[in-house]
Amino acid sequence: MARMNMVQAINLALHEEMKRDENVIVMGQDVGVNEGVFRVTAGLYKEFGERRVIDTPLAESGILGTAVGMALAGLRPVAEMQFSGFSYLMMGHLEGHCSRYRSRTHGHLTVPLVVRMPYGGGVRALEHHSESREAMFAHIPGIKVVIPSGPRNARALLTAAIRDADTVVFMEPKRSYRAFREEVPEESEVWPIGKARVVQEGTDLTLVSWGAMLRMALEAAGEAHARRGVSVEIIDLLSISPMDTETILDSVKKTGRCVIAQEAPLRLGPASEIIARINDKALLYLEAPVGRVGSYDVVTPYFGREQAYFPGVDSVRRAIDETLDF
Amino acid sequence: MDWRERVAAEGSRGDRTGHFEREFYRGIYLIRRLEETLLELFAAGRLSGTTHTCLGQEANAVAVAFHLTDADVVVSNHRCHGHYLARTGDLEGLLAEIRGLERGLCSGKGGSQHLCAPNFYTNGIQGGIVPLATGMALAEKQRGSGAIVTVFIGDGTLGQGVVYESFNIAALWAAPLLVVVEANGWAQSTPTPRAMAGSMRQRLEAFGLPCGMVEGTDALEIHRAAGAAVGQVRETGRPAGLIIRTQRLGPHSKGDDSRSPEELETLRERDPLPRLAASLDPEQRRAIEAECERRLAAALTATEGPL
Repeated sequence: MARMNMVQAINLALHEEMKRDENVIVMGQDVGVNEGVFRVTAGLYKEFGERRVIDTPLAESGILGTAVGMALAGLRPVAEMQFSGFSYLMMGHLEGHCSRYRSRTHGHLTVPLVVRMPYGGGVRALEHHSESREAMFAHIPGIKVVIPSGPRNARALLTAAIRDADTVVFMEPKRSYRAFREEVPEESEVWPIGKARVVQEGTDLTLVSWGAMLRMALEAAGEAHARRGVSVEIIDLLSISPMDTETILDSVKKTGRCVIAQEAPLRLGPASEIIARINDKALLYLEAPVGRVGSYDVVTPYFGREQAYFPGVDSVRRAIDETLDF
Repeated sequence: MDWRERVAAEGSRGDRTGHFEREFYRGIYLIRRLEETLLELFAAGRLSGTTHTCLGQEANAVAVAFHLTDADVVVSNHRCHGHYLARTGDLEGLLAEIRGLERGLCSGKGGSQHLCAPNFYTNGIQGGIVPLATGMALAEKQRGSGAIVTVFIGDGTLGQGVVYESFNIAALWAAPLLVVVEANGWAQSTPTPRAMAGSMRQRLEAFGLPCGMVEGTDALEIHRAAGAAVGQVRETGRPAGLIIRTQRLGPHSKGDDSRSPEELETLRERDPLPRLAASLDPEQRRAIEAECERRLAAALTATEGPL
């Protein structure tokens, strides 16, 4: 066991997987000699060389398109988008190629590729460095969208993503990169993609969250417990697509109340989808409408107004109170 | 037996007089008749989906395919029937796919412009597949397979930005990639001069891709140019280009041709097919045509059924 932060844990997974499978290659802007703007790819270039750790031109579309071709031809590329805000130039490949080969060939041919991208706010940056667009990626049929919340699950899920037969968009909450450390097992772990985790059991209310919001959800739940003795069950979604409906439904059927806390804007976001699924299968178990917390439906503001835009512990606490007091 | 094997077999029997021209003609003629038939089926309401025929451009596909090995990869675009047939000879699989049948080469899931077979890929998004071709070429190189990747694009596709990202990456990392530009002068209904600034050839050469040019009215001339271009990529292991000035004799898709009859007549004069036909012994030519018609009729019968 070693205590490490999320950057170190992701870096560990990349080292381990590159060592395990020589078809794994890492590519992106400044990922090689410079070791990545967030140092996520530190040491890879020195250990595996320029054939497998490739500094690319500044060309998001070209990077992902080339990676798709490599994946179709048998390699396992892990392509980095330097910030998720730069990724929109590569959307055509995600939509037009990544999952369609499996469909067209009845599964004979797939695109085993990981697109890593730091995402989310809270780092006092600017709009293209701060947004959460997981819903946009998850809307594409056949694309997996994974969001770790801490070092251990980041390492275990990136390992799973690299070994997956299909394209995985791996969104790294950059405000959590160095925010805390936790124990990460010595042995490589592979967590199943599409499985949520109950990180705290409870009986009165289900709180679903993911990414950097999870820490705020935990804090808000702890505060609610201290203030009014409420027992909150907390689910770390971990994967936006596929989405683990079963774990959410099991919990909601037990607690009868639910709040979803996301960093992304609310309109047409993952929380809306979760509510639809609860309504479909567990409506009669509900004691109150499902609450949701998120950011506003506007462009992410510059850092000075970031606090007013992003949801925080307070907004989660308010939503918990409203759902309990309904 | 596909047409390349037939050429080889005929050659080995010692009867070499005109055998190459005959097989070349057979390849072109079969594609021509398939494409004409597809337009007829659409017009008769017996085909749905879409189609983009390569009438007039068939020789480009046959010429390039002749120089490729089975290990090489071909990446094509929306106008892909000719490339596929020249590469595989799989007429029935193609026809069934266009008809959306389970027995199609993609189980009827892709349709006309989304073909996917071993070492053969197409997609309908213009230029979007060029970086994929680059990535495939790089993977072949990493594997040391010796295979090359040929990607067919049109001159209209030169408007797409990712094409140049791909040229850059292919040149920087020395991808064994051949870019064949079938320049038919049109992007759907927009003439190339209205959509493209500067020189087509210089666009490739600016990235260090040596670029051949061929007028394209003579099938054998296209064949020689294709051979030189494929040979260059194979020998150097680096990307190269070939621009074929060609002509689209049919509509962009179906019934959407806004060009004047005079202009089409001028283009028909550039058609390599009748020139090649005229160079053959009439009896042998008729035999080839009859055989192609039989194959086409058989494929039509075999794929007839509820659409």
